[in-house]
Amino acid sequence: METLAKLQVLSGAARYDASCASSGCRREGNPYSTGNTSQSGICHSWSDDGRCISLLKILLSNDCIYDCAYCVNRSSNPVERASFEAREVVDLTMEFYRRNYIEGLFLSSAVMKSPDQTMERMISVVETLRTEERFRGYIHLKIIPGSSPELVRKAGLHADRISVNIELPSHESLKRLAPQKEKFSILEPMSLIGKEITESLVERRASRKAPKFAPAGQSTQMIVGASPESDFQILRLSEGLYRKMNLKRVYYSAFVPVNHDNRLPVLAAPPLLREHRLYQADWLLRFYGFTATEILSDDMPNLDESFDPKTAWALRHPDFYPVEINRADYATLLRVPGIGVTSARRIIAARRFSVITPEGLRKIGVVMKRAKYFITCSGRPFEQMERSPLLLRNRLLLGDGGEVTPAAPPKQLVLPGLFA
Amino acid sequence: MGRYLYDGTSEGLLSAVAHILAGEKDVERVTLVERENTLFEEGVYLATDTAAAEEFFSRLQNLASEAVYTFYYFTMAEKGGLETSMLRYLALALQHGSKVNGYLTHPSVKEIVTVSRKAGRELHRMKGLLRFEKLQDGAYLARMEPDNNIIHPLSLHFSKRLRAEDWFIYDVRRRTAARWHRGSLTLGLIEQFTAPALSEEEKAVQALWKTFFGTIAIPERRNPRLQKSNMPMKYWKYLTEKQG
Ligand code: SF4
Repeated sequence: METLAKLQVLSGAARYDASCASSGCRREGNPYSTGNTSQSGICHSWSDDGRCISLLKILLSNDCIYDCAYCVNRSSNPVERASFEAREVVDLTMEFYRRNYIEGLFLSSAVMKSPDQTMERMISVVETLRTEERFRGYIHLKIIPGSSPELVRKAGLHADRISVNIELPSHESLKRLAPQKEKFSILEPMSLIGKEITESLVERRASRKAPKFAPAGQSTQMIVGASPESDFQILRLSEGLYRKMNLKRVYYSAFVPVNHDNRLPVLAAPPLLREHRLYQADWLLRFYGFTATEILSDDMPNLDESFDPKTAWALRHPDFYPVEINRADYATLLRVPGIGVTSARRIIAARRFSVITPEGLRKIGVVMKRAKYFITCSGRPFEQMERSPLLLRNRLLLGDGGEVTPAAPPKQLVLPGLFA
Repeated sequence: MGRYLYDGTSEGLLSAVAHILAGEKDVERVTLVERENTLFEEGVYLATDTAAAEEFFSRLQNLASEAVYTFYYFTMAEKGGLETSMLRYLALALQHGSKVNGYLTHPSVKEIVTVSRKAGRELHRMKGLLRFEKLQDGAYLARMEPDNNIIHPLSLHFSKRLRAEDWFIYDVRRRTAARWHRGSLTLGLIEQFTAPALSEEEKAVQALWKTFFGTIAIPERRNPRLQKSNMPMKYWKYLTEKQG
């Protein structure tokens, strides 16, 4: 098979992987990210689905011996199979990099003969790039679940970022939909990577010559909507991954049905809004000082469809407001809908010079359409503080002068077969 | 209320600002504009004083290094009519140091910082969107038409990234070019540009890239509006993946 034909098969098979981060101090390729901290990652293009392209994202092979229910490449699917030679991937990476198409390579693979055999071949691509071609660009390597610790360590010494996909948000779903992948074969490399990253950081503090281990950190990804977990379960899982495993990023990828399988839900469309809300909630966990239990609870296990999670929190906590712009600290400012990380910082910076007026707030870039219901400026409110939660909800949804209509019940996913 | 004129160059701007700040007490009451050379133009013309400009620049560097960057990016925007704001901005920078960029509630700071940020954003964007093509002699050529005059910092970026290759970056509208040849960078003007022939393999590599670009998109998530808002169409002209 020609390289071009292989590329078609093996980039098509890789497209469902959400991660496209290309820098240690990232700005992600997630189309929905709103307030980012650092812009040092470079996007090179945006594909027809609006997602950023920064890496040559491909599989080494889609010829899989496993049979995960949700995956196009599962062994029982009659799809065209292809595998790259190491040299082909190396050449593609170098040619693309020289023309400034990409920041680097994101290499993943189906399980060819065994996890170790696959991982070895992936590592040989990366070794050739690093040593023969002296490639210093970005490399993200996926770890095949079940690879041996030596290979995981080797991967981390060459790659900038490594990741193990957690795939599904619970053990039960993993067993049900990816029976050949064991929980420990995913979690073990994850904690090994976490440990190695920490150790390497400590060693490098002592000596600058100590080798770097995955300097851009570890990330993971899970599929949302292929299994019955609630958003609350998912967020608690992510929170645990950030806190205990020290992950840099958790990616959520809306389930796109590619197979007919009665273990899978039937969806009219991929749950994109849900994915979007999860990313927003994830931001709240990482940058806004929220905890999962503040965002959701057992009584309210799923994210609101009509409001972003921060506005939803604000609507449930009227007593927290109004927030006084000229006095509130950073953490408090961050809780105001319409004020993000950037505007909160700017407010604090501008306060050093003078008292902030409503006009000044607009200059700073606060989204007044939302914020005005929740703040005061030198004691003066912007709007008659709306005390009726239902009225406020509607104002936020429809803008001023909106009609009061009872909120529609949240849409439920249809999951036939799952509880049979 | 003083009205001052200068010659329209960056250097002239700095030396005029230095002169005004040395003599005027309240810059909020002073205006500075580019000279138009009409007969009845009102105002005091301040001729460019290179030494004064340099002296002012190094003072700024010591007192407010952030403001130096802001000024640099501002000049890349090639935007006329904002000299008075720049004057006031620089006065505040000397007073408050690098913190000045946080004073966004001040109209002049807001204006200058906004223009300068926009240029910075385009520079960042171009680091990703620039496309090189391999020529017959083995060198690479990239063409672009950015809104801001970013060729200098952009070529510095690539001089760190594509060190082993020889390449050119050509700003089609401004006719300026950066050339990286055997490890050194030169900038210049190109009066007559004729597009050189591409190398044999170039079409094949471009076909590979277009294939990748096409298949990496998830069909179920097609979203041309999002694509255009992230990657405005004005940049498509030289994007390999957007050519027929
Ligand atoms: S192991 Fe990976 S490639 Fe193979 S079927 Fe499962 S998800 Fe797909």
